[in-house]
Amino acid sequence: MSEAVETKVEEKEIDLAGANEILDHYEDMPGALMPVLQAIQEHYGYIPEPTVHLAAERLNVYTSQIFGVLTFYAQFHLEPRGKYIIRVCKGTACHVRGANRIGDTIKERLGVGHAETTEDLKFTAEYVACIGACGMAPVIMVNDATYGSLTVQKMNEVIDKYVSMD
Amino acid sequence: MVNLTIDGKQITVSRTATIYEAALEAGINIPVLCYAKKLLPFGACRVCLVQVEQMKGRLIPACTTPVSEGMVVTTMSDEILKVRKTVLEFLLVNHVIDCPVCDKGGECDLQELTYDHEVVCNRFQGEKFNLETDEVNPLIERNMNRCVLCGRCVRVCDEVVAYGSYSFINRGFETKIATAYDRGLNCEFCGQCVSMCPVGAILPRPFKFKARPWQLKEVDTVCGYCGNGCTVTLGVLNNKVETIRFNDKIGVNDGNLCIRGRFGYSYVNSEERLTAPLVRKNGELVAATWDEALQAVADGFKQAGGAGLGILSGARLTNEELFLLKNLAKQAGTANLDHSGGECYKGLTEGVAGALGVAASTGTFPQVEECEAILAIRSDFYETHPVFGMVVNQAVKRNEAQLAIVADKRGKFAKLPGAKTLLHRPGQELEVLNGLARVLLDEGLARTEGVEGLDELRQALADFSAEQVATRTGVAAEALRETARQFAAAKKSAILLAYGLPYTAYSRELGIAAANLAILLGIPGRDGSGLYLCGEKANSQGVIDLGIMPQAGGLGAQAMLEAAANGKLSALYVVGEDVLTSYPDRGKVEKALDKVSFLVVQDIFLSPTAAKAHVVLPAASFAEKDGTFTNAERRIQRVRPGIPLPGQAKTDGAIFAALTEKLGGNLAFTGAEAIFAEIGRQVPAYAAVTFNGIGPQGFVWGGEILAPARRRLQPAGGATAVDGAFQLLTGSALYHSGTVSTRAKGPLAVINEAYVEFGRDDAKALDVKDGDQVKISGNGVELCLKAKVGNRLPKGVLFAPYHFAAAGINRLYKGEAAVAVTVSK
Ligand code: SF4
Ligand code: SF4
Ligand code: SF4
Ligand code: FES
Ligand code: FES
Repeated sequence: MSEAVETKVEEKEIDLAGANEILDHYEDMPGALMPVLQAIQEHYGYIPEPTVHLAAERLNVYTSQIFGVLTFYAQFHLEPRGKYIIRVCKGTACHVRGANRIGDTIKERLGVGHAETTEDLKFTAEYVACIGACGMAPVIMVNDATYGSLTVQKMNEVIDKYVSMD
Repeated sequence: MVNLTIDGKQITVSRTATIYEAALEAGINIPVLCYAKKLLPFGACRVCLVQVEQMKGRLIPACTTPVSEGMVVTTMSDEILKVRKTVLEFLLVNHVIDCPVCDKGGECDLQELTYDHEVVCNRFQGEKFNLETDEVNPLIERNMNRCVLCGRCVRVCDEVVAYGSYSFINRGFETKIATAYDRGLNCEFCGQCVSMCPVGAILPRPFKFKARPWQLKEVDTVCGYCGNGCTVTLGVLNNKVETIRFNDKIGVNDGNLCIRGRFGYSYVNSEERLTAPLVRKNGELVAATWDEALQAVADGFKQAGGAGLGILSGARLTNEELFLLKNLAKQAGTANLDHSGGECYKGLTEGVAGALGVAASTGTFPQVEECEAILAIRSDFYETHPVFGMVVNQAVKRNEAQLAIVADKRGKFAKLPGAKTLLHRPGQELEVLNGLARVLLDEGLARTEGVEGLDELRQALADFSAEQVATRTGVAAEALRETARQFAAAKKSAILLAYGLPYTAYSRELGIAAANLAILLGIPGRDGSGLYLCGEKANSQGVIDLGIMPQAGGLGAQAMLEAAANGKLSALYVVGEDVLTSYPDRGKVEKALDKVSFLVVQDIFLSPTAAKAHVVLPAASFAEKDGTFTNAERRIQRVRPGIPLPGQAKTDGAIFAALTEKLGGNLAFTGAEAIFAEIGRQVPAYAAVTFNGIGPQGFVWGGEILAPARRRLQPAGGATAVDGAFQLLTGSALYHSGTVSTRAKGPLAVINEAYVEFGRDDAKALDVKDGDQVKISGNGVELCLKAKVGNRLPKGVLFAPYHFAAAGINRLYKGEAAVAVTVSK
C-alpha cells in the first residue's frame, strides 16, 4: 500500500524544504521530472528517497516511474556521496598500466570500492571508463583535480593528502 | 473503412485497426507476445513481424502498425520465420528455462512460441539472469528470471489499474521490471499483472503447486462479493476451488478483477464452514438433523404468528432464492421483510424511483469508458466497486474524460490525471450536489424540457447559491460553477454513487440529489450517459428488483430491530448477513437479537450473529449455487456451481423451499430455470429473457440505456454539519467487501484487522505513528484501534473500515454521515 511507503517519508530525517522549493517552481510545468531530479541532486548532492516520494506525490507520477528514470541515467545518485569523489579510470590504457592496483589501494585504505562511500561521507570511489588522459595512465580524478602516472606509493600519498584535509 | 489484403485474403476493417487486429478479423493468427487486447500497442518483442509490400526492406510489427488502404501483407514466409526464430532465440538466451517447476507450464506464451517455431537449439549464448524471487507478500510471486520484458505488467498496472507499481529499471542487460527501489511488491493486489504476464514471471502464490493448468475444471460464474458482477472462472480440482482463472472472453469486466474476486475465494473451502444444522439445547448449539432443525424453525415461526416474525436477508442470494424467500415470507404470513439494516438502498428505491420511475442505474459500465465527464460522489467508489473504478481509470487516462469527485477524502480517483476533487466537510455531499444543481438553474444550463417539479426545486434551492454552499461545505464557489458548466457542456456523462451498509446517512436524499443533477444535465435516457447508483453486494440490484423490502403494512429493518427490542417481534430470521457486525448501531442490533425469543440464522459461517441463534441453518456459498445475480448495471448473469456443498449444507433456495413446505405451502416449481420463469411473471423486466437465454455477456434488463418513466425533480433536504475536532467516517476498504471477506485469506493477507486512518497533519499533531494503538471515543463508546497514517484524509477527518467483527466500529457508528469523536493514546 502506498501508505506504508509514505510513512517512510517521515522516518528518515531529511529536510524536505529544499525539495519542496524546487517542486514549487516546477510543479505546473509538464515534463518537469528531469529538471526536478537534477535540481534535487544539485541541492542534496544525491537523490534522497524521501524527495522521490515527495516528487511523486507533488508531480503526480508513480514512484516506480521516477525510480526507472533514476536508474536509467548514470548521472543520478541514490546514495549520499562523499565530499571527495575519486574517479578511478579503468579504461584500456589505464587498465594495462595497473588501474586495478590503484583501485585496490583505495579499497584497502578507505574501504570503498566502485560506487561506495565511506561512512563519514568523506570519500566516494567510482570506476569510470577512459577519462581522456591516456597519456598519463593510470589516472584518477579527485573532484576536479587529475593525478596521473600513478603508482601504489603515489596513490597512497594522494590519499594521505585528502585524508588530512577537511 | 480500409481495404487491404492479408495472405491473399481481401478484407475491409475499421480505419483504426492495426495489421494484427485486421488479420485476426480475417481469421489469420499472427503470433504475439507483448501485445494484449486491453493495453495500448507497445511493440517491444518483435514476435509479430510481418511483410508489407508497400514497406519493403524491413519487417513490420503487426501489433503497432495501423492498416492503410491497399496494403498487401504477408504474415508467413521463410524470411519471417527465420527472424521470428531469432527473436525467440534472443529471448531464451538469458531466460532460466525452468519449465518443470514453473506454474505457468502448459499455458506459457514463451513455451508455446518456442514449441511452435521449433526452436530446438540456440545459436546465441549469454549469461542467465540470477535474480532473487520476490516473495514478500503472500499473494503474488515475482520471478524476474523468467521475464521477457514485454511490459504488460507495467502497462496494465498503469493503464488499467492506475496504481503504477512497476517500471523498467536500469538499462542494457541489467534492464528489468521492478517496483520503486526494487522492493517487494506492496500494492492493491488486484492481480491484473498476474493475468497479463505471458510467462511465469508473475504468479499467484496461493495457487503454487496446487495443480497443472490442464487438470483444472473451469466453471464460469459471477463473483460473490460486490455489485460490479465480474465474471470469475473457478479453477476446480478435486471439488476444491484452487484458483481464479483469467477470462476476458465473457462478462462485463474484460478479465479485470479486484483482490476480492481474484484472491478472495478461499473462504468457500474453509474448514470453518457450517456443515450441519445446529439447534440450541440447554443453552448450547448442537448439531441436529435437517428435519429436526426445519421443524423447530417452522414451529417457531408458527408460534410467532405471522406479524410476530421479521425476516432480514442479505444481498448475496441469487434472484431465484430471493423469489423463494419472498414466497416463504408470504407463507409464514409476515410482511416484515427487508435486506439492509440502514436501508441504504432508499437512494434507489425512493430517490431515483421517485425521480425517474425506475429503481436502477440507467446505463451500463462499458459506456462509461466513452464518457466525456464523470462525477463520482464519495471517494469510496473505487473501494466498493474497484473494477468499475478501472473503467473510470481508462476513461480518464485513455480518453481524457474529465473527472470530478465530490468527497470528504482524497481517494484513489483523486490522483487520476486532471481529476478535480470537490473536497467537502464530512457529510456534506448533499449540499454540494444541491449547489451544482443550483448553478445549472441559475446559469440557464439546465435541461428542463419535460421536467416536472422545476419550481419546487428552485424554491428548495433558495439557500444553495454557490457562495452559500461554499461556506457550509468548504468547496470553493468557483469550483462548483466550473464543474457544473463542464458537465453541462459534455455530450456523454456519468454520475456515480455507491451505496451500502456503511453508507446509510441521507441515502434517500442523496439519491434524489443525484437524480436531480442527472435530470438537469439530461443524463437519463441519453445515449452513452448514465446515472449509476451501485449497490455494495453481488445481488444488491436483484434484491430490489425482486422486492425484498417491507411488504404492505410490514416493517423495515430498523423498525424490525426496534420492535424486536421492545418485545413486539418474537421471532427473527436472519439470512446471509452478519447483522451484528455489519448493521449500523450494534447496540441496537444486540438488544433486538437478545430480546427476541426465537432467532434463526442461516449463513455459511458461525458468525457473531449466528452464535446467538436458537437455530442455525448451514447454507451455500456463491461457488455452490445455480441461478442468477443482477449486478449494479441491471445485468442478469448466470451463477454456476463449481463445487459441491460442504457436509449437509443446503443452498438457501433449498432451505426456503423446505421451510415453505413445512409451513404447509406447496411449490409448483423447482430448479433455477423454472423459478426464473416464475420471476418473469411477477417482475416484467425479467420476462424479456429465459434462464437459458442469458448469454455470455449476461442480459441487461431494460436495455443498455434504461428509459426513464418520468423526470421529476424533488427537493432534497440539506445535511446538518457534524461538529467536533475529529470526525470519524466509516466505509469500505478496497481489500474487503461486507464481512465475508474477513474469512478469505487473500484480503486478510493485506488487511487483517480493523484500523483507524489519520491524515499526515493530524498524525503529526497528535504524535500518532503507523501501528500505534489509539483510543477513539464518540457516541458514548470508546474503541481501541490500530492507527494507520496516510495522505487521503483532510485535517480533522478519520476513517475506519466497517468489515471487522472484533473491532465493533458499529458500536460507535449508528448510521450517521460522520461521528464526532475524540482521540487519545
Ligand atoms: S497486483 Fe494490481 S496493483 Fe499490484 S502490481 Fe499487479 S496490477 Fe499493479
Ligand atoms: S514480468 Fe511478465 S508481464 Fe512483466 S514484463 Fe516480464 S514477462 Fe512481461
Ligand atoms: S469484488 Fe466486485 S469488483 Fe471485485 S472482482 Fe468481485 S465483482 Fe469484481
Ligand atoms: S584509459 Fe584511463 S584515461 Fe584513457
Ligand atoms: S507483439 Fe508486436 S511487438 Fe510484441
